[in-house]
Amino acid sequence: MIRPLVIFSAVTKNWIRSRSGLFFSIMFPVLLLLVFGAIFGGTGGTSASTLFVQNLDRNSGGTTTQLSSVFVEALNSTKTFAIKDVPADADPKVWARDNLGPLGGNIRIVTISKGFQNDLLNGTFKVQVGISYNLLNYTYHYLPLNDTVKPIYEQGLAQLQQYNETLPDARTSLTLMFDASDQSATVIKNIVISVANAFNYRIIGATSVIEFKEESVVGRSYGAVDYYVPGIIAAFIMSNGIIALTSITSEFKRRGIIKRLSITPLTKFDWIIGNVLSQTLLSLILTAIMIFVGWIVFRVQAIPDALTIILIFLGSVMFSGLGMVLGGLVKDVEAASALGNAIAFPMMFLSGTYFPMEFMPSYLQSFARFLPLTYFSEGLRYALIYKYTEGVLTNMAVVSALAVAFIILGSVVTRWKEK
Amino acid sequence: MTEIVVEVKSLVKQYGSLRAVDDISFDLHDGDVFAFLGPNGAGKTTTVEILECLRSLTGGSAKVFGYDVTKREDVKEIKKRIGVLPQEFSALDKLSVKENIDLIGGMYQKKLDTLEVIKLLDLEDKTKERFENLSGGLKQRVGVAAALVNDPQLVFLDEPTTGLDPKARREVWSVIHNLKRLGKTVFLTTHYMEEAQILADRIAIINKGKIAAIGSPQDLISQHGGRKTLVVRKGSKELAKTLQDKYGDTTLAQGGDVVVKVDDVKEMWQLLATLTDMKMDKEIEIQTPTIEDVFLKVVGARITEEGELK
Repeated sequence: MIRPLVIFSAVTKNWIRSRSGLFFSIMFPVLLLLVFGAIFGGTGGTSASTLFVQNLDRNSGGTTTQLSSVFVEALNSTKTFAIKDVPADADPKVWARDNLGPLGGNIRIVTISKGFQNDLLNGTFKVQVGISYNLLNYTYHYLPLNDTVKPIYEQGLAQLQQYNETLPDARTSLTLMFDASDQSATVIKNIVISVANAFNYRIIGATSVIEFKEESVVGRSYGAVDYYVPGIIAAFIMSNGIIALTSITSEFKRRGIIKRLSITPLTKFDWIIGNVLSQTLLSLILTAIMIFVGWIVFRVQAIPDALTIILIFLGSVMFSGLGMVLGGLVKDVEAASALGNAIAFPMMFLSGTYFPMEFMPSYLQSFARFLPLTYFSEGLRYALIYKYTEGVLTNMAVVSALAVAFIILGSVVTRWKEK
Repeated sequence: MTEIVVEVKSLVKQYGSLRAVDDISFDLHDGDVFAFLGPNGAGKTTTVEILECLRSLTGGSAKVFGYDVTKREDVKEIKKRIGVLPQEFSALDKLSVKENIDLIGGMYQKKLDTLEVIKLLDLEDKTKERFENLSGGLKQRVGVAAALVNDPQLVFLDEPTTGLDPKARREVWSVIHNLKRLGKTVFLTTHYMEEAQILADRIAIINKGKIAAIGSPQDLISQHGGRKTLVVRKGSKELAKTLQDKYGDTTLAQGGDVVVKVDDVKEMWQLLATLTDMKMDKEIEIQTPTIEDVFLKVVGARITEEGELK
């Protein structure tokens, strides 16, 4: 057991002293966590989406009507939008495009039509008359009225119906324009609709009888960053194993270092175990740093337990084994790097690491079930966040089986003797 | 009679239609420095790597310390007893000289103290220096140190000076002389004639997978080196004629040098006696054949600095 430890010590020292190795193995994942955390965790305040509003509902003096102004204020109060006014006489599309600013962005325009206030008031009045008619009608039909009151109700109902029919059928409209490629458009549309509905109810005088409460499905309260921490850890343990180890192995092979070692009593199994141990240490260091940075910066509450550490060890073995398989198959460094990237990147994005698999089409979800990272990333999330032991053990079983398979395959394809 | 360390009989290595090593046989004796001299692609490294148990053989047999290179259990014994400096030796860049030697040493149960090996190779002031910061010559010395760390009886040095500048090359030669002094058996491959002639007790000239000649440098020179030459600087036509009449094969070169070729040492002494009798006061130069002449004779070509035949 001494020789694998000698290899472990040497390759670990060689890696720790390599600035580029250290950067891509440790610093880069940490930077990625900070970026993801800043984007999705709301650290430093979220930036509002630009929404151009053209208010065409104006008084004779050119000023905007009271209700249309209140509606714009209601949009503003959501704190979702940075509202920019579009002049009434401008072509909104052209004006918005020219006023996006140097960094560009998506064009989203809400146009408040002319007559917004009048139509809103008329429409509201007609709705309220209708509500009064309905209330009287319910009373007439369901309350026990005596013969003296009944005719009065009947007369009132007839007059209300007649009056309501004379009122204009007024409706006002809002136009929302956006780019079809704008991925946030649906969300923005729904926010605008929600604001319009709330505005509508307020004018009618209705209040919502449905109370909305928000609760986390897990015991403790977690933020979005908590979701990313296990994902990023899993993804980089995978890329360190597949991309870095494959490149290092083929580089050592190209430079004759493996050849030199193979002339000694070292066996290829010793060599593989030494490298796997080194990758495991790297994975544990990466995990500790990620959790520490996550806790310091984002107050991430992911706490590794014994199961987590075992899973990380097995994941490192699995991906180091896969790296050894790839390193053994390819001849040169360039091919190793290309092959490593070709396998690692699709796996990174198709395994539910950075976003839930439910977002993907069903055939890709089925495909993801064949990817080793799916089980590792899911297991790690269950272990670190959900504390769902059964889920951890199920994924751990798959990871263990794959780890053994890859190590055996790696031993077979690693060439310890020239032809 | 010294012990036979390496015994190769009718060794063949075939790659598809290419026969890289073609039925070669030779022995290597304990304490000898044996040089495999030949151009690139001659089969030197292939042969050495078969003996290092790094490649399989196609035919014939190869034994190191009596162990068969094709038998798994024997291979373990061979690996314990040999030290190797592979062609284009490289090590872990970010590790120091000592750490790299420790890495190789860590593979053996029996090994020398690393600092002792470092001292032997005169690398003491580079002990903590990272491998990536060393010059080519120093890197080769680290390679030799790594080859010695298990205190091997047989050391393979595959092209140890290729690509090195003359100064670094001489440093490596000095190391090989020291190995000989320590009683190590050295198997050296090279395409440098001078290197083989200076360092080796025995040389095998190999070309196209076959051994063209084998023996001590002196034996090879006397067998294949051709005639000895005496040059009289700034001679005359009369002198040239006199020597032509007496010894034959005499020419008057451009610049007036008279060049006389004789068959052996006895005839050379006679020639010198003749010149003394003539009270000759001109400068003379005696040129003896070298391994390069031997190589030219047996292979029919020379080797360039890059190791190619020309």
